[in-house]
Amino acid sequence: MPAATAFRGPKRKCCEMMTLTFPLSRIEGHARVVVDVRDGIVQSAKFQATEFRGFEYLVKGAPAGQMPVIVPRICGVCSTAHHVASVKALEDAYGITPPPLALTIRELLMLGQLLQNQATSLFIFTMPDRLGVDSIFDVNETELDGDALAGMAARALQVRQAGTHLITLAGGQFIHPVKAVVGGVTGGISAEAAAAMRSELADALLVACALFDAYWGYSLALSARLGTWGDDAPACYLTAVSGTRPNYYGDFLRLMGCEGGDVCAQFPACEYRVFLTVEEAEYSYAAQTSFQGHVLRANSLARANLVDSLGTPCANEYLQRFHREFGQPAHAILLYDLARGIELVYAIERAMEILAGPLEGAETRIPYTPRDGEGYGLVEAPRGPLIHHYRIENSLIAQAEFVIPTVHNVLAIERALRVAAERYITPDRANLELERAVGRVVRAFDPCIACATQH
Amino acid sequence: MKRFAVLQLSGCAGCEVALLNAEAWVAQYKLVYMPLVVSAEDVPEVDVLLISGGVRTDEDLYKLRRAVKNAQQVVAVGTCAISGGVANLGDRDEVRALFLAERDRPHVPRLLSKSHPVDAFVAVDLYVPGCPPTAELFMAVLTNPRDFQASKVVCQECGRQKLKDVKPAHLLGFQQGEVLPDVCLINQGYLCVGSSTRGGCRAPCPRAGHPCVGCRGPSDVFIEKESDVWFKSIKRVFASMTDAPESEIEQGLRSPQLAMFLFQFSDYAGGDRLPRPKEKVL
Repeated sequence: MPAATAFRGPKRKCCEMMTLTFPLSRIEGHARVVVDVRDGIVQSAKFQATEFRGFEYLVKGAPAGQMPVIVPRICGVCSTAHHVASVKALEDAYGITPPPLALTIRELLMLGQLLQNQATSLFIFTMPDRLGVDSIFDVNETELDGDALAGMAARALQVRQAGTHLITLAGGQFIHPVKAVVGGVTGGISAEAAAAMRSELADALLVACALFDAYWGYSLALSARLGTWGDDAPACYLTAVSGTRPNYYGDFLRLMGCEGGDVCAQFPACEYRVFLTVEEAEYSYAAQTSFQGHVLRANSLARANLVDSLGTPCANEYLQRFHREFGQPAHAILLYDLARGIELVYAIERAMEILAGPLEGAETRIPYTPRDGEGYGLVEAPRGPLIHHYRIENSLIAQAEFVIPTVHNVLAIERALRVAAERYITPDRANLELERAVGRVVRAFDPCIACATQH
Repeated sequence: MKRFAVLQLSGCAGCEVALLNAEAWVAQYKLVYMPLVVSAEDVPEVDVLLISGGVRTDEDLYKLRRAVKNAQQVVAVGTCAISGGVANLGDRDEVRALFLAERDRPHVPRLLSKSHPVDAFVAVDLYVPGCPPTAELFMAVLTNPRDFQASKVVCQECGRQKLKDVKPAHLLGFQQGEVLPDVCLINQGYLCVGSSTRGGCRAPCPRAGHPCVGCRGPSDVFIEKESDVWFKSIKRVFASMTDAPESEIEQGLRSPQLAMFLFQFSDYAGGDRLPRPKEKVL
């Protein structure tokens, strides 16, 4: 497809300013991109969060024990991650460690979150960009070719639903789950329920791999058409997983420096301020994070760069292919989407492994005595490391802080948008492909605006 | 084929995500506007407009007023669209100071003084409470709401057994302690309000061992009445089923996680509007 020529600006005069505003869809929440151009030269590309959630204010004074029910309402897409981060923060404050079975069930919860999110992002948010349609639900009506596309919407929803069913099984309900409680989880999973879930996941795995193969192919075609995978300068990467068989339940944060190679810093959640600088922006309700003046990146590509092997057969094969074809670390923007597909497969395979073991019969929660103090809860959410930090006085939340993965990506999103804008805007015209490029860049980072606007 | 749209105001997108699990509409409806999954500029003419989220910014209000003009039927889904939702929690002075500080910011939509329910500005034909409503409830909205069969209260859908002779001396709150399977959570000392919360969700939370926090709002008996009437009824349930001191029950029920939901029908617009008729609530 030849690049469309959008418009020629009026005859240029001295200091001619032009502001291009791009509303965004197929992302979670309300945001837009604003590009300022002067005399055909891109001046700035801004990512504006245009809604405000403000949970750091809303939860002040709430009984600390109710946080695991209140904070999932930060975001319906990421509610599981907030639910688990919240119980972890309280357990840190109370100085207790849940029993092993509870930790296993919480890992399942996080895998369900990962599966549900990556399926949504991959098939509902970004697949339409590869197919040139407005929505996945339009695919059947297009003239596009054959078998790979037949019933795509239904198959995509089938994979996604396996994730929601997994969260329901491990969390009670799939949006705003309830089963993780301070000290553990409310109960185990029966062998019968686990077997049924495994069989549903086995079906979903086949469908997910077929859809992902098609997606990989469409992505190759897209990059061939564009002549780029969305190249951008190297960045630093931030994630709470690494090594083999990554556990999204989270333990430490890890930073990979701009030069790649080994982890350059590893630290617990309570030390995040030593490494990360969070600043407000007057043009957006979302803040921005940096690391010693460098642009940071979180989310799927950070994990693909820091994880060497996934330890499950299909996912690992995809990851090795990814490392082989694009290098480790890889920096191109559209690779975020491919990395998401690898994790989709991993989430299914790893959940099946866990569900094959016993998930009942052992202790699922321990007694505890609440106390005042401070606690941090870290998980690797689909969008990156998420930290809940509570200060508790008289059993009430005196202060809450939500350190949100999307916020870590804001500067990286803006830098990538600027690269795209400079590619498609020349002194005498702006190419319409820019509008599509803006959508692709933002969706590659899969930002979540409901999460990103808490203070 | 009928057409429907989903307008998301300030909320968490949980309602939209729940709708995606109700995929059976794909065969019956064309989804023409839903920014989460469809790229479309504006709400076109539709048979059904689902609205989620509260009205919290001037942009929300603008979009809402534009969208309803093109809709045959307007449905408010979820706690936020019905009452403004979780955004109205918190210390009022803090939130007011925040609102004043953010009021004149350039470039971003201006905050309103609170998160308003949708029907503070436009007429609503149907209310679907739930945080979020289940996929089954969404399907009922899109097929025939009148055919939807549900128990009056969550309690009847929960399947746990009430024991007459077990009366806890103290309340455990929401989370602490072991949960016995199959036994009523109130018998075990939990602050479950499923006994008078509207049915239709099939009780996923109490079934999973967590007390009902009332997200579906009150049952038909209380839905047109002041919140205090529902509140007193819940207190009576705990007075008869537990031996916990009255002050403990009173304190337990004054919880933010219940407050998000208990008042969504009665105190929704400052108390100066008529209650919503129960016929309009699914």
